[in-house]
Amino acid sequence: MLTTPWFQFSLPDFQYAFLSILLEGIPFLLGGAILSGLLEEFLPQSLMTRLLPKNPRTAVLVSGLLGVIFPVCECGIVPVVRRLMRKGLPVSCGVTYMLSAPIVNPLVVLSTLAAFRGQGAWEMTILRFGLGLFVALLAGWVVSYFAPYSILRPGLFAPEEDHHHHGGSGAPLDRLQNAAMVATRDFLDVSVYFVIGAAAASLFSTAVNQEIILPLAANPPLAIASLMGLATVLSVCSTTDAFIAATLTTFPMAAKLAFLVFGPMLDLKLLFLYGAAFSKRFIILLALGLFVVIGLLCWRLALLNLAW
Amino acid sequence: MKRLRDSLMLALWGGFVLWLSFTGQLSTYLHPSLQPYTTAAGVILLVLAAFAVRALLVTPRMHHECCHGHHDHADHPHDGQAGDPAHAGHDAGHLHGEDESGWLVLLFKTLLLLLPLGIILCGQGTKFTMTTVQNRGVVDDLLRLPSAKVSAASAAATASSTASVAATSTPQGASSGAMPVQIIDMLYAVQMPSYREEFEGKEVELIGQYVPLTTGNPKGDRFQAIRMFMTCCAADAKPVGVTIQYPPGVPPLKVPEMGWVKIIGKPVFPMEGGRRTAIIEATKVEECAAPSEPFVY
Repeated sequence: MLTTPWFQFSLPDFQYAFLSILLEGIPFLLGGAILSGLLEEFLPQSLMTRLLPKNPRTAVLVSGLLGVIFPVCECGIVPVVRRLMRKGLPVSCGVTYMLSAPIVNPLVVLSTLAAFRGQGAWEMTILRFGLGLFVALLAGWVVSYFAPYSILRPGLFAPEEDHHHHGGSGAPLDRLQNAAMVATRDFLDVSVYFVIGAAAASLFSTAVNQEIILPLAANPPLAIASLMGLATVLSVCSTTDAFIAATLTTFPMAAKLAFLVFGPMLDLKLLFLYGAAFSKRFIILLALGLFVVIGLLCWRLALLNLAW
Repeated sequence: MKRLRDSLMLALWGGFVLWLSFTGQLSTYLHPSLQPYTTAAGVILLVLAAFAVRALLVTPRMHHECCHGHHDHADHPHDGQAGDPAHAGHDAGHLHGEDESGWLVLLFKTLLLLLPLGIILCGQGTKFTMTTVQNRGVVDDLLRLPSAKVSAASAAATASSTASVAATSTPQGASSGAMPVQIIDMLYAVQMPSYREEFEGKEVELIGQYVPLTTGNPKGDRFQAIRMFMTCCAADAKPVGVTIQYPPGVPPLKVPEMGWVKIIGKPVFPMEGGRRTAIIEATKVEECAAPSEPFVY
């Protein structure tokens, strides 16, 4: 029984949460943009073509595991993936890497182990890693059947105003300048979406009474769906979300698993950030697909008593 | 024009971040472990701004020379690859022509990016009000606190030296001779009998923010003292609270909601509503200044 309304808005609280999310996300977003600039300037397009397996399914698999050795968090991943796709990475591989990297990241694995100490830490960590990777691969394989133009934001590969360099030559300072210009463009471009996403996340995280989901804990499907909804609203970084999930003691493990897999793939700020690279229709379908697939898989695990 | 705007935007953002950092305001928003990253980001933004200025001064003509016929991203043999020239084209947001719609888009994006700086300049968004506390619910159970299990293990290991633990965890040293404690110490004590014994019967002093207690307070002689517990940034902070009971016959202090109070009293740990809880039976409650570190971690 709620003692306060389900929605109460306070402008100062919204502004405070909004600034906090932005200040927390800036270094990671900037890191992704700088990596994007360096990739654009220093990664020869032919190298990626050579390194990536020719078989599309194997290429998707490799992309899914790329986050283990090339970890980028969910805030920084969008500029990196956008740039890699510009350099010729197949869209299916880009989507797979984007979805899996925030979960298979070694830091995330360690934080999940630490957070769930005494609550089946190894089981939760293995399930999170495995389920996250599986869902990302599934998304990549599905995407490989569609034409890139139906998935990507229109005009994503139009020539860039600040893109002057054509690869591999020039004075070091000029090359660094080229990388910096690309990084600047990507940072400011993606920041616009990040500001909107942070505003949406702040609105819901401060104005919605979070106790409304507590009565749903006893019903597995509703518990799973509600924690996926909570992950979307809270928009917590994947390196720390396990510490939040571990405190949701009244919820079944399957629901916490859904929180930990769905959140890094799609929360409110990501919903807008993805807009920097993908079409609106694709983002909506991706959101629905991830919600249904992760929800069903976690429910199945709950029924098998593997993650209860 | 866009490059000038970019360099200004980077310089403004970098400057604001460094200003927040060097004036100590960053701690209002971020966990201490994340503050160095944001400070470093401020420096890098200024470096990028310098590169953008250099580009303005050194390469004014490159843009025009470069733009024509540069569609080489698409020469890739993979199936389903991204850079397909047939579908690339110029999008509405691409500002080469800087036509009217391009200017409007640029203006909109610029205003959006300036919005957070405007909020900071107006001095808004520096603390939470009761609304967020009510919406998040006050946590009085250690198991509902992020990373509590990890902390509890270390706290249990050092339970024998409670006074020293508490003294180091309280930002403002006790001035009354009472044992300085944090609200979170009371939550640990509820969970761990050995820790609890260290406090029972002793006078403690703690500071917190005043939150009226609307339930379980039939006599109206109780309130909650809370501190915000931060995991990552202020946006994920949860209020952690302990119940305070006024001495018999003493009228409740008139304190604004979320105002800072100092409490001196003895903790008791009765069973209420079927579970153990912590209550401070106060001997003195007074308003005080906010601590330099308003959050607990």
